[in-house]
Amino acid sequence: MDQSVAIQETLAEGEYCLIAVQGVLCEGDSRQSRLLGLVRYRLEHGGQEHALFVYTHRRMAITGDDVSLDQIVPISRDFTLEEVSREGELYILGSDVTVQLDTAELSLVFQLPFGSHTRTFLQEVARACPGFDPSTQDPEFLWLSRYRCSERETEPTTRLGWNSAPGTWPGCARIGGGGPSFEDSRPNGKGLLVDQSSWSQDKPENLLPRQNKSKSEITDMVRSSTITVADKAHILSMQKFGLRDTIVKSHLIQKEEDYTYIQNFRFFVGTYNVNGQSPKECLQPWLSHGVQAPDVYCVGFQELDLSKEAFFFHDTPKEEEWFKAVSEGLYPGTKYAKVKLIRLVGIMLLLYVKQEHAEYISEVEAETVGTGIMGRMGNKGGVAIRFRFHNTSICVVNSHLAAHTEEYERRNQDYKDICSRMQFCQVDPSLPPLTINKHDVILWLGDLNYRIEELDVEKVKKLIEEKAFQTLYAYDQLRAQVAAKAVFEGFSEGELTFQPTYKYDTGSDDWDTSEKCRAPAWCDRVLWKGKNITQLSYQSHMALKTSDHKPVSSVFDIGVRVVNEELYRKTLEEIVRSLDKLENANIPSVSLSRREFCFQNVKFMQLQVESFTIQNGPVPCQFEFINKPDEESYCKRWLNANPSRGFLLPDSIIKIELELFVNKTTATKLNSGEDKIEDILVLHLDRGKDYFLSVSGNYMPSCFGSPIHTLCYMKEPILDLPLETIRHLTLMQLQTEDDGSHLEKPMDIPKELWMMVDYLYRNAIQQEDLFQQPGLRLEFEHIRDCLDTGTIDHLSASNHSVAEALLLFLESLPEPVICYRAYRSCLECSGNLTASNQVITTLPACHRNVFTYLMAFLQELLKNSARNHLDGNILASIFGSLLLRSPAGHQKLETAEKKKAQEFIHQFLCNSP
Amino acid sequence: MATTPYNYSYIFKYIIIGDMGVGKSCLLHQFTEKKFMADCPHTIGVEFGTRIIEVSGQKIKLQIWDTAGQERFRAVTRSYYRGAAGALMVYDITRRSTYNHLSSWLTDARNLTNPNTVIILIGNKADLEAQRDVTYEEAKQFAEENGLLFLEASAKTGENVEDAFLEAAKKIYQNIQDGSLDLNAAESGVQHKPSAPQGGRLTSEPQPQREGCGC
Repeated sequence: MDQSVAIQETLAEGEYCLIAVQGVLCEGDSRQSRLLGLVRYRLEHGGQEHALFVYTHRRMAITGDDVSLDQIVPISRDFTLEEVSREGELYILGSDVTVQLDTAELSLVFQLPFGSHTRTFLQEVARACPGFDPSTQDPEFLWLSRYRCSERETEPTTRLGWNSAPGTWPGCARIGGGGPSFEDSRPNGKGLLVDQSSWSQDKPENLLPRQNKSKSEITDMVRSSTITVADKAHILSMQKFGLRDTIVKSHLIQKEEDYTYIQNFRFFVGTYNVNGQSPKECLQPWLSHGVQAPDVYCVGFQELDLSKEAFFFHDTPKEEEWFKAVSEGLYPGTKYAKVKLIRLVGIMLLLYVKQEHAEYISEVEAETVGTGIMGRMGNKGGVAIRFRFHNTSICVVNSHLAAHTEEYERRNQDYKDICSRMQFCQVDPSLPPLTINKHDVILWLGDLNYRIEELDVEKVKKLIEEKAFQTLYAYDQLRAQVAAKAVFEGFSEGELTFQPTYKYDTGSDDWDTSEKCRAPAWCDRVLWKGKNITQLSYQSHMALKTSDHKPVSSVFDIGVRVVNEELYRKTLEEIVRSLDKLENANIPSVSLSRREFCFQNVKFMQLQVESFTIQNGPVPCQFEFINKPDEESYCKRWLNANPSRGFLLPDSIIKIELELFVNKTTATKLNSGEDKIEDILVLHLDRGKDYFLSVSGNYMPSCFGSPIHTLCYMKEPILDLPLETIRHLTLMQLQTEDDGSHLEKPMDIPKELWMMVDYLYRNAIQQEDLFQQPGLRLEFEHIRDCLDTGTIDHLSASNHSVAEALLLFLESLPEPVICYRAYRSCLECSGNLTASNQVITTLPACHRNVFTYLMAFLQELLKNSARNHLDGNILASIFGSLLLRSPAGHQKLETAEKKKAQEFIHQFLCNSP
Repeated sequence: MATTPYNYSYIFKYIIIGDMGVGKSCLLHQFTEKKFMADCPHTIGVEFGTRIIEVSGQKIKLQIWDTAGQERFRAVTRSYYRGAAGALMVYDITRRSTYNHLSSWLTDARNLTNPNTVIILIGNKADLEAQRDVTYEEAKQFAEENGLLFLEASAKTGENVEDAFLEAAKKIYQNIQDGSLDLNAAESGVQHKPSAPQGGRLTSEPQPQREGCGC
């Protein structure tokens, strides 16, 4: 349904509409239909420029009157047209394509119909975009100036604010179209990808109008240097390899349970506030107290280094010291691999796994969040490592929250800040960053700094002495805050069966004896969130005396999703297969009510119509009758399909009429058998099947369309003759002179001509307006049948109908009465009767006879001009164009040429022999 | 495992040709749907099917064009041969006439495809052993003489159907590997995963490329 023809009608010379597509312009809630035409203008000095012409239109545009220009968008270097999708929206097969058009000046959103036409359109636009090549001139669009005055001012709503401040938009204009200065902007020769992403991070405020666009989209565009052409509808069949991947991945995630099983792994989680001390004792009592070697170690420290250097320069020798101490304290006799170490000032987290598990660890990312001084510094805050172990995603967080008993709300806030600000990059950069909560398993350890409330120091110590931990726990701030859902929502913690881990005199198990005499508290904690987690132990380790805190450890059995390779393969195969099936099911398919069409006894100039219906299946589709190879049209010239193309909504139905009509141009070959009522039409579905329709039938030969000399040899009515004879006689060459080689002497003139002329001579010699009034179609059919069956005696028709049949007969002669080769000489000697007569003598005998016969008849008519009101000029003008036909065919004749033909006839009418 | 390429790197175009009623559409259906279509109507036109297969660890998308077998459509179906990487030439082992016509089908296939197009001869209806009219040996010989791959298969039982499509794909892939098939040639019938958008070159999905198809 290319509506470019209508657009073309409105364009000026030199402008050519390459392709047009009908779409919907989306502005806020408004949806308006628009016609988009890609217009090319060839420049005088060579080269070409393009612009997108946007039209409002009525109905499906057929002519230029149906469209009116709405606006013109020059395809300049800053032009982009690309597909957009709403975030989180899954591609839907067969849905409309939403595209965004951006230039430095405006931004429009269109919905284009699903289908290959739209895809072709987008590709054409892509090709029309000026390239990156800085040596080529910028398009100037001078040719568009003639539209400028008439162009409606773009409404302010379609403009975006940043247009008014071009200086704040340094890079955008270059992204899509590619500016000539782009090359210069990266003198260091770094990859575009790096450059572009750093740019987008450096100037985030400039990205505001396009915030919905992720980094990867931008880099993608830069990489392709042109428009991203994507058509959702073709997601499976097109080589949009990435999209199919995405679908497969999402299916794999959905079906994870089909190909994975849960296996328990032992996790050691430890936290230790070391109060700025260096390791002085073996850490094995803390790290290796269990009976079984853990599979994974998550070890966190706080207050690793309290020096100013560590705070300001983020560098400390303690990191190496404690890392070494931990490495030496891991379960003896087992080999561990360090996966990651991350540190923010004094907060450090170490992740180890048993060496044999290392290959199943992937997607390791580590991040830090400072919540200390000014809410940013690293004296307080958290560090985290996220990774994937087999198929389970795990996030381990070590945090040191705000201190002081009364500051619990500050601690709650620190927790929330860590949760919201801790973001991990994903392997697939197009995906949004991961947050802590997006993990299957979360292990949170650290010096959370929650204290014991309401009880005085002595009471606390007394309860501890009595090992009344449950009683004491009732006064624990963390318990209270979790119960109030103010912090750690959804997390679990094991029962506290060990005495508070803070605060001791360094090097002892004695409670703080300093001036401050802090009340003991369970500062150091381990919490978890997720499924299939069993805590095996939760304890403190009094044996370590290096710090004013005691280290805490917790051992877990965590159920991890492990992939069964065989089942995984099977699931993957199933998914791929189901996509194949989906794709096959999405091949458009229709059913046709008929595929064989038989037209019986087709007669000259008698319309026959056969119809059928196309019933669409569940996939919307475009259908069209297409040309067979080496053929100019989708069917023979005597046939026409109406409509020959169209669009079908799912399950809709359309009626197609096949119209068969034989006229003077097609009749001769059907008479001769060179052509038959036989054809195969190919009904093509866009992206889908092709259907063959067979047309068959038989043609009733007629004197109409038969050559004069052929008819002269037919002594019997044409329909009484065997087809083979008609075929032979029709193909017979026209002899200039009768060479006597034929069996029988031909008649002087075709009997059919005689019949019509004789009829008119007998009945219509005084008929007013003869040859000027139209005949009746039904009567014509009757006359034709009488002529072809030789039953002229039965002829009863109005004079006008017979007169028109006569004209039609002359018009249908494949070789006109004045043969084509004599045409020029006739025109030349027009006005000179002697010379004209001379030319007539050169005609083949039968043509000569017909000419003389007709002239005699016309002269007879003129004798009765008083009654029939005919005059020489009228007749000359009617017969001039029928008897003398230009060999050039149906092209419009010049008036002078027509006049000469009339003159030629006229001289014979007015000069009786 | 996370890096497994789920997607195909090549598209091969196949055509299925042969006399009417030899089971071309049933072979396609068995291959794409793993089902036998019992009352399959005659194909009057051209149908499509796709499936992704794996050859030497490479995912390949087969795009299969199933053509009408009736003689009267022959002139039209010829236009679909162009750009095929593989041709499945099918006869019916229980009807000798369908075997006798092979040379005519082969002539078309050779004339209308490129020299590297892999042609596999398939004797279908191998499940109807009792009604066999063409021996395995003579067909094998015909195939060898003409440099064709050959298999007897049954669209009904599914026997060898998978193999027929795979064998041809293997051969095509091998031709790519040893460089005898030029992927850049317009008519190779193979499309490789593009590294960058290539403008209009991507339009050859089930879209017979013929002149005058302007929509």
